[in-house]
Amino acid sequence: MKKILSLLLVLVLAIGLLAGCTPAQDEPTPADEPADTPEATDDPAVDPSLAGTTVKVLLAYGGAENSFEQFTADTGINVEYIEISTGQALAQIQAADGVSAADVWFGGGVDSYISAAELGYLEAYVSPEAATIRDEYKDKDGYWTGLALVPAGFLVNNDVLAEKGLEAPQTWEDLADPAYHDEIIMASPAISGTQYAILNGLLQAMGEEAGWELWEKIDANVTTYAQGGGEPMPKTIAGEYAIGVLATVGSAYQAMEEAPVEVINPTDYIPWTPAPIGLFADAENPEGAKVMIDYFLSQQGQEKLMAADARIMTRPEVAIPDVMETLDASKLIVQDVKLFGSQREAVLARWAELIGDK
Amino acid sequence: MERRTLIRQTYKQFDKLILLVLIGLVGLFIVYPIVSIVAFSFRSGGEFSLTHYQSIFSPANRKLIWHSLWTASSAAFFSTVVAVMISLSAVLSGPRWQKGLEKAVMISMISPPFVSSLAFIILFGRRGLITYGLLGLSLNPYGPQSIVLLQALGGIAFASLLLFANLEQIDLFQVLASRDLGAKGQHTLKDIIFPALRPGILSAFFVLFTMNIADFSTPIIVGGSFKTLATEAYLIAVSTPNLGQAAAISVLMVPSALIAFYFYRRNMRLGQTIGAKRSIKDIDLGLRLPGWLRLIIFLPAISYFIITLLKYGVILVSAFANTSSGRIKWTLDYARTLPPNNLAAIGRSVGYSLIAALAATIIGLLISWYTHRRRLPLMEGVEFLTSLPYIIPGTFFGLGYVAAFSSQPLMLRGTAIILITNYCFRQLSVPIKAANTTFSMLDRSIDRAAKDLGASELQTFWTVLLSPLRTAFINSFITVFTSSMMAVGAIAFIVSPGRTVASMELFRSVGQGRYGLASFQAVLLIVIIFVFNLILLLFKDRKGGRDVSRTKRSK
Repeated sequence: MKKILSLLLVLVLAIGLLAGCTPAQDEPTPADEPADTPEATDDPAVDPSLAGTTVKVLLAYGGAENSFEQFTADTGINVEYIEISTGQALAQIQAADGVSAADVWFGGGVDSYISAAELGYLEAYVSPEAATIRDEYKDKDGYWTGLALVPAGFLVNNDVLAEKGLEAPQTWEDLADPAYHDEIIMASPAISGTQYAILNGLLQAMGEEAGWELWEKIDANVTTYAQGGGEPMPKTIAGEYAIGVLATVGSAYQAMEEAPVEVINPTDYIPWTPAPIGLFADAENPEGAKVMIDYFLSQQGQEKLMAADARIMTRPEVAIPDVMETLDASKLIVQDVKLFGSQREAVLARWAELIGDK
Repeated sequence: MERRTLIRQTYKQFDKLILLVLIGLVGLFIVYPIVSIVAFSFRSGGEFSLTHYQSIFSPANRKLIWHSLWTASSAAFFSTVVAVMISLSAVLSGPRWQKGLEKAVMISMISPPFVSSLAFIILFGRRGLITYGLLGLSLNPYGPQSIVLLQALGGIAFASLLLFANLEQIDLFQVLASRDLGAKGQHTLKDIIFPALRPGILSAFFVLFTMNIADFSTPIIVGGSFKTLATEAYLIAVSTPNLGQAAAISVLMVPSALIAFYFYRRNMRLGQTIGAKRSIKDIDLGLRLPGWLRLIIFLPAISYFIITLLKYGVILVSAFANTSSGRIKWTLDYARTLPPNNLAAIGRSVGYSLIAALAATIIGLLISWYTHRRRLPLMEGVEFLTSLPYIIPGTFFGLGYVAAFSSQPLMLRGTAIILITNYCFRQLSVPIKAANTTFSMLDRSIDRAAKDLGASELQTFWTVLLSPLRTAFINSFITVFTSSMMAVGAIAFIVSPGRTVASMELFRSVGQGRYGLASFQAVLLIVIIFVFNLILLLFKDRKGGRDVSRTKRSK
């Protein structure tokens, strides 16, 4: 009897210990504590009881974090985020049997969203704000909605090009030129959603056969693939590589002011992916998450987001950012975004075969 | 009378309770994750299968095994050689210098391992300040040679500390006798000092080898297309859903860890049994050595400290300057553009590490007490288990936590607990070792005296033994705190939104090539670790209670 009693006590104590630890997780660290009382919001749609709650975000949208403060000021909802490539996020959720430990998936490649929706990791949510957004930029069931269009192209470092006596590449074909050997940095499409969109987009635009042939030649010029879409830009700016293949978004244009780099929009094809936003099925704060989704799909939110990182926003009411004036929209690849998801496994398998153990 | 027996009974029950909780915690946070990850590696599609292992031995993977083996062993070899030189320099330079040397080595440990990679790329990268800025070269720094170099550099401090402990075990009188009998300095070194270092050397080599095998951060950052087992396990774990495959690869790293473990424990045992004699650290030995030998010994040691200084210097400069053009342009941009979640991440790092350090120290002291003071049956086994996480690859332990705590009823993913317990149990053997050493120097008759005076076991621990444990307590606290602040290996798999920590954010910045930002983050992290170390050391120096740990047992 005594033994059973003491065993019970142990259990109680152990549970107590665990429970004792838990408050730490809800306590906001001093740095992200909200303003004393969240201001009343102008937006009547926001339920005041959500103020002070926290939305957890898996983020693959460079620069968006700079608009979160504004979101918190406008809605009273706090944001906690971790930057993670969408391919990586999908893999980890799969490994954890569908546990995302987050509320909102923000930005990145649409392919992972499509796969995640099929696997049941996402919750359908048709935002009332999405009405004016074109159908190609959103999922019809509401598993994901495009925030912006992410065009892809090159960032070149003019210093490095000049030193090596190279011209800047203008087309995807140019990248296959052996003169660029070991001067190109691009991410692995298995990890980076943008890079996957480039891969799949070009395959759709050029046709499977010609597309793979080109990728094989480009691969010969690349010595190492970056482990995320965030890597090519800083390494090109730092002059480690002459050419970065990347999302030509606001931060890339901004870099032109600080470093001898230049954004090049390819003259043959401009691949693109919608940068989606979605709601996780295991969200702990789904109501807060929906407020966030609505906010960033609203005109006001889209403008804030564009100010944080210039992209072509999906809402037709929001003008194309000034820096992208040079972008020739007719070169945007005409593609079926749904194929990004359905072909993902096959395309990546062929890709893995193509690059070997690089 | 009634009441007294009642109190006694309560103490006894409480005593049992604590013991059970300790065993429960070790079972839950050490044994269970290890079992889970091994089980995971043998499972495919819900059934027992060897598929993951079969695919490991494909030709492509055999190359990875070979890569891992040679880079890890050469780096461990170089670290150990330099560490031997550093510890011999300590022997040769007299007690005062020796203290300074030990402190310098300790300080050189305060930086996350990949900070060296960061400094290396800033100096010797394609746009390095030295290679490009000074020499006008554009060398590709990414490759196996850089992995070996940086892992070797990273291991030196650890190996030196192990060897310093060995030095203490050398019998001073033996050395003095050899000198008085007219032995030349080099013979004393070769015949007395070197043999005494041997167990430490073996232990250092194998422990470093294991750490290098498991290290994915260095190869990811400077390895380029050169892949190792650790990078493959990491990439598979973070970029494919195939956790079983990653698990299998990390299981492969375990045999070497077990060998390391054997030598490490043997060395530690030696350290615990000897130690009563006067050590050679107390006086200047005045060994005479030929000039060439002095050079061989001192040069690597001195170079190590110069390189370390250079490393900190480079990081400091590049935190406040733009170096990408090969020249230095001062700027405060990195401080200004620090991502908004970074300050919270630092706060979290400090908070989690403090809690983990406190928990590890308390749990560790108690386990040591039950094992070595109370000599309870089976506790030897429990203690053995606690030393496993320290030595097994971080990747393995981290994936173990993913496998163990990703589903109900033990769903801890996304919580702070999973990070804190991972920090805590990874380092649990540190306080246990420290307490073991203290206990071995305390005469057991104190406990008996206390018990004769009517104290219960727990009262004895609380009133008599706790005060001498003070030094061990604070030292372990500092070590666990510092390592937790810098940890990446096991943590990389279990961070989640709102739970990211400073070391991970730094790792990400280095990986992405944001060198300025990374340097700034590194400086912040290093400064914080330094400040906390200083504060904690103040506690240690404050006179509080009698420090019995220094009173050595008389014969």
